[in-house]
Amino acid sequence: MRFMFKFPDIGEGLEEGKIIEWYVDKGQNISSGEPVVKMETDKVVTDIPSPKSGIVAARFGAVGETVHVGNVLIEIDIASISGNEAQAEARKEPKKTASETVAEKGFGVVGTIEVAGDGAYLPVSEEGTLPQEEKPGSLRKVLSTPVARAMAKELGLEINSIPGTGPAGRVTKKDVSSFHAKRAYLDETVSPTSAPESPQISIEKVPLSQIRKTIAKNMLRAKQNAAHMTVMDEVEVSELVKLRTMLKGKYQDKGISISYLPFVIKALTLALKEYPVLNAELDLEGGNIIYKHYYNLGIAVDTPEGLVVPVIRNADRKSIIELAQELASISEKAKQRKLNLEDLRDGTFSITSYGSIGGYYAVPVINYPQVAIFGIGKLTEKPVVKDGQIVVGHMLPISMSVDHRIVDGGEVARFLNTVLGYLQNPVSMLVQ
Amino acid sequence: MNYDLIIIGSGPGGYVAAIRAGQTGLKTLVIDEKYIGGMCLNWGCIPTKSILESARLLRRVTKAERFGIDGIEPEKLSFNWTKARTKMEQNVSKLTKGIEYLWKKNGVEFLRARAELLSPTSVKADKQILEARHIIIATGSKPAPVRFFKDSDLIEIEQFFISETLPIKPLIYGRGAYVAELAQFFSMIGHQPTVLLEASPILPQDNDWLNTALERILKKEKIPVFVQDQVQIEDGAIIQKDRKISFDKVINCSLRKATLPPLGFDLQTEGGYIKVDDHLQSSIPSIYAIGDVNGKSFLAHSASAQGLHAVNHIQGNNDSYDDSLLPMNIYTEPEIAMLGKTEEQLTREGIDFKSSEFGLNANGKAIIEGDVEGSVRLLYETKYNQVLGVQIIGHHATDMIAEAGILMQLEGTVFDLARTIHAHPTIPEVFMEAGILGANHS
Repeated sequence: MRFMFKFPDIGEGLEEGKIIEWYVDKGQNISSGEPVVKMETDKVVTDIPSPKSGIVAARFGAVGETVHVGNVLIEIDIASISGNEAQAEARKEPKKTASETVAEKGFGVVGTIEVAGDGAYLPVSEEGTLPQEEKPGSLRKVLSTPVARAMAKELGLEINSIPGTGPAGRVTKKDVSSFHAKRAYLDETVSPTSAPESPQISIEKVPLSQIRKTIAKNMLRAKQNAAHMTVMDEVEVSELVKLRTMLKGKYQDKGISISYLPFVIKALTLALKEYPVLNAELDLEGGNIIYKHYYNLGIAVDTPEGLVVPVIRNADRKSIIELAQELASISEKAKQRKLNLEDLRDGTFSITSYGSIGGYYAVPVINYPQVAIFGIGKLTEKPVVKDGQIVVGHMLPISMSVDHRIVDGGEVARFLNTVLGYLQNPVSMLVQ
Repeated sequence: MNYDLIIIGSGPGGYVAAIRAGQTGLKTLVIDEKYIGGMCLNWGCIPTKSILESARLLRRVTKAERFGIDGIEPEKLSFNWTKARTKMEQNVSKLTKGIEYLWKKNGVEFLRARAELLSPTSVKADKQILEARHIIIATGSKPAPVRFFKDSDLIEIEQFFISETLPIKPLIYGRGAYVAELAQFFSMIGHQPTVLLEASPILPQDNDWLNTALERILKKEKIPVFVQDQVQIEDGAIIQKDRKISFDKVINCSLRKATLPPLGFDLQTEGGYIKVDDHLQSSIPSIYAIGDVNGKSFLAHSASAQGLHAVNHIQGNNDSYDDSLLPMNIYTEPEIAMLGKTEEQLTREGIDFKSSEFGLNANGKAIIEGDVEGSVRLLYETKYNQVLGVQIIGHHATDMIAEAGILMQLEGTVFDLARTIHAHPTIPEVFMEAGILGANHS
């Protein structure tokens, strides 16, 4: 039987990708988990593994071509089953979207990717027609009258987007013409040509990039799902400044640039171990709190295209130098759009250092479904009172947002006391 | 409050509304002073079609020999009015019982009494005063009385079906499809009818195609047709110039006037009919008027559709009543049926249209049955080729129009009709042929 392998939803809200390289040719054997194609999206460059074993019967799309999620990538002739077994397989109701666990050979990791499942199976007889190319979001097929269809086509309207008032929501001629009239009216009122003649009132419409769409979606999802609460504080870090200056000079020759961030990461991972609820996830449907016993810290990176949050895996097991090196590496990759899916996945806690650009305090948005984000403000010299004397202190402002659904105020305060304690007295964390 | 809804009149408007009301949980009472089923069942649709069927069979039996049946001597055939009436009464009784059963099943009460509206929510009937949240007036219509014939010569339609004997030379007076049907009935049973129209043409509608078809049918039957203002009426005869045609009875089929129930308050009317809005509500919102009494149409199925609409509106459905697809059937031989817009309407509305017509004379089933007169005609606009009007003449036309109904309800085009596989041999194949013709020419 034939299996149509469609470009799966690889997460991060990406809807299309560009083919960089094909790993398979027509007629070639392929095993489940073997990479099929290298795809570049707005965010990542990643290999797409095959979900099935068999022979590649057809390949769609050339290098450089843009492929939408749901488009067929390859057709696999699955040799291992035939006859009744294949009939039974073919009769299975294809799921709308299915999560299949695919072992990615060569990476040694098991990841979960979305496999576009609907219509993926062709009838065994191979007499069936290829599924129509799917347009995202047009899966709903409306009832409509023949004339309404003809009219919508003529007016260049997508019939599925027209609300129907007939029985069972059938779209009638009247519905098409009123939809058209409404749209024509809106176009007229919005179009700049009919706007009042004022040079100040001019707008420009720029299509959203994939990455911007993804950011928008994720931010909204976080705000809609989590109960944000933000705590702000500041800490005197003169000791840390000294330590960092010392290390910076020492490693400069080796080409390693050390910022404050590795120390913050270190302090956070130590504190997270003491306050596990901040390295957790709320599973409201299942009625569980999922505690994560690994510490993958997402680092918000500002790139010309927009915000990306690559992850430093097992940050708790890395030294200050290792963290500094990895930070340099991921921010470079992010800026060159060379991050792959692995680099973005499985974060458990995030850090945003907006202060490196400017600003003392912010209200960061949680990287949902994580439950907390730590924001670092701009380090400044300020007069502080120390032992009854006004002296110059190095003040680091911080802002931390948590999901108040599972993190209580007291817990954040205690967590912050620990983190800020480490930052104030960095030697204490280095000996841990 | 005694009832959610009181319906006055049990014709096809009232009884259908009552069943729907019962089904949707309204406590409903139907009041009618005479019959269950109103004109439609008792002196309209059903009795007419029943006696017409008897007359058609008589005519068909005369052709029996051609179909290979010996033993029928056409000269011995005669029409037995008493027996035809008995059959008719059986038909009517079966149908009225059906209504009573459906009412009972759906919890609808019935009261035989003369109803008088006392207020927007109260009705006096049978010496009781009944309160209801809503009232539907479905009291129908009657042919307007005529004054220029002797009372002893006149037969009102309502009495016609209970008369013991039939006139031999009836003068069918009035206008509308009924005139043609009744005239042809008399002609088919061998009597000598004459038609006297209140005004020309036969149908009070601006529809040339239909009026021409009817004229042709009457002409073929050799039924003399006169128009009132061109004749003199004498005792037992009408005279046009030097032509004098005598009659023994006059059957009053004049255009109908609304029958209003006695009202104890003002209700807005227009030309004698109760004025209603898009939801069939009268000038008093608790009172609806459906069927003939509001003057929108004099067709039974229109009254039923209006009845359903009114009940749906009471139940909160705010759609406007739409009667743009109301089929009109005429039970002459051949039958005539039409639906949707006429050529006159399309021209008036400035719609570019084409027509395609296909005759019955090449249709297998029609040839087998021996009735090849007629055709199916489609009127369709030229942009999307949507079918906007269908006109059929021919045997089974009144049943065939149903296909046009579903096609037009779903805004179908000539292509959809052409693509629809029709069983062979059937008369509706002609429908498909007309569609193919249209599709080829579009």
